[in-house]
Amino acid sequence: MLSSRHFAIPLALVVLGMCLIPLKATDYHVSVVLDILMWVALTESWIILSGYTGYISLGHSAFFGIGAYLMAMTVTSLPFALVVILAGVLSSVFAFAIGLPFLRIRGPYFVILTLGLTELTKYVFINLEIKLGGTVGRVIMVAPDLLVLYYSMLVLAVVTTATAYFTKNSRFGVALFSIKEDEDAANALGVNTSLYKLLAFGISAAIPGMVGALLALRRSYIDPYTAFSPMISFQVIVMAFLGGVEGFEGAMVGAIILTLISEILWAQYPYHYMIILGTIMILIVKFMPQGLVFPFKQRLLKKVPANK
Amino acid sequence: MKFFEVINISKGFGGLMALNKVDFAVDEGEIVGLIGANGAGKTTLFNVVNGYYRPTTGIVRFRGEDITGMKPPDICKRGMVRTFQVVRPFRNMSVLRNVTVGKLFGRDRILVKKEAEREALSILEFVGLSDKRDVIAEELTLVELKRMEVARALACNPHLLLLDEVLAGLTATEMSQAMEIVSQIRQKLNVTILIVEHVMKAVVGLCDRVVVLHYGSKIAEGTPKEITEHPEVMEAYLGGTLEI
Repeated sequence: MLSSRHFAIPLALVVLGMCLIPLKATDYHVSVVLDILMWVALTESWIILSGYTGYISLGHSAFFGIGAYLMAMTVTSLPFALVVILAGVLSSVFAFAIGLPFLRIRGPYFVILTLGLTELTKYVFINLEIKLGGTVGRVIMVAPDLLVLYYSMLVLAVVTTATAYFTKNSRFGVALFSIKEDEDAANALGVNTSLYKLLAFGISAAIPGMVGALLALRRSYIDPYTAFSPMISFQVIVMAFLGGVEGFEGAMVGAIILTLISEILWAQYPYHYMIILGTIMILIVKFMPQGLVFPFKQRLLKKVPANK
Repeated sequence: MKFFEVINISKGFGGLMALNKVDFAVDEGEIVGLIGANGAGKTTLFNVVNGYYRPTTGIVRFRGEDITGMKPPDICKRGMVRTFQVVRPFRNMSVLRNVTVGKLFGRDRILVKKEAEREALSILEFVGLSDKRDVIAEELTLVELKRMEVARALACNPHLLLLDEVLAGLTATEMSQAMEIVSQIRQKLNVTILIVEHVMKAVVGLCDRVVVLHYGSKIAEGTPKEITEHPEVMEAYLGGTLEI
């Protein structure tokens, strides 16, 4: 039977290839791959909570923005690697703080909660900017080299993918999937669903914080509207559903394909880009609701995956 | 000290009293039946005892501890586990994975997945489902789902098992097999059982004692024989006669 171990060697080769890309490629290509890595990290982190437990979160924008802002505010005084880590910690702490009082919220209410959370944080930052600086945004003066950003993002993408993989196959992952299937039944069998939801939320939040911190350095200027753009959450969700939400393969495939399609469509058909993208999404949801990866996996495995 | 007892339990929903000052106890090693017509409060009682609802008044004691108001996972870890009247399988998981959840998070709290799976498999053998271990739960028949529901609860390694109508809807053969499993659970696994059941033949065949609920109140308690001859029970339960 084909197991996840068979993916190990091809994946290692992909990672090695990604390490070597900057040696040959132009800055443009490096930045496209950087983009892909960013979306891989974001989507992989999203599925840890939302793909595994079924709790759809629109909170990634909030965590992304928090990370971006932390970087914009501290990049001149602290080493950037430290800020990236702090951004992850801060986002997690924020997720725990928000999650704790709302642990028992279920289903669609959770989606609304996370959407509200993102909007709330955005407007808090807008007001802070006006109060503190009298401006709407921040200019970022110093930034490390593109390659430094590239390799940092590569590390993040690999770490997040590994986390998504190991989470799914662990005891913790069994708890998360049991929540998705039937939360009351899980509770009755001893699964402390509140605790595991909170943990997953916290872990899932750290990555967008770190990605946001790195991405802020790619821009020379950020303001709350772009840093907390809800499009980040929406795009992550689209990628996850495109590939499949129940495993790292789906998240990765979805993120790669959609980033490439966006890149091509954006260049070729700037006016019809969103229309074409929307149509693709509708077709996927209609004809492959379990994502692109699922039919291939079924054919390869021909029996129940060991991790089901 | 009683093994398990509910003391003066009431549960109201708005103006409706679903349970009204219910008292009873279960001794270790017993099989106790809980009967009553639809709407008598049996499932509500399970939901209170198991921590899903908080009772309006009253106390639930289990193995010397007041567990009133505890959450279901904490009660499960103390060794009281329930099944659901309408089966609630994890539909997209294999049968083995369904049962493994109980081993990982129930009273045993096994931390290693492989070991939990090994022990879950022995539970599947016990209920006669081991040949279905790799089947996805949604492909099971209702009879198999009911067995899996019991297996999953047993995987939590309970001291007290609450069975909610596990026999309903079975054919005669299936029922006698299921009854055999229930009595084996007590004999071989040393599990005390509180069972909600409509099928009187099963209640009489399995239970040491029976508690009768009617509109949320306990109206009788005794051996199955005493219960079937109890005039109030006959009146309440079937409007006159109680067939066995």
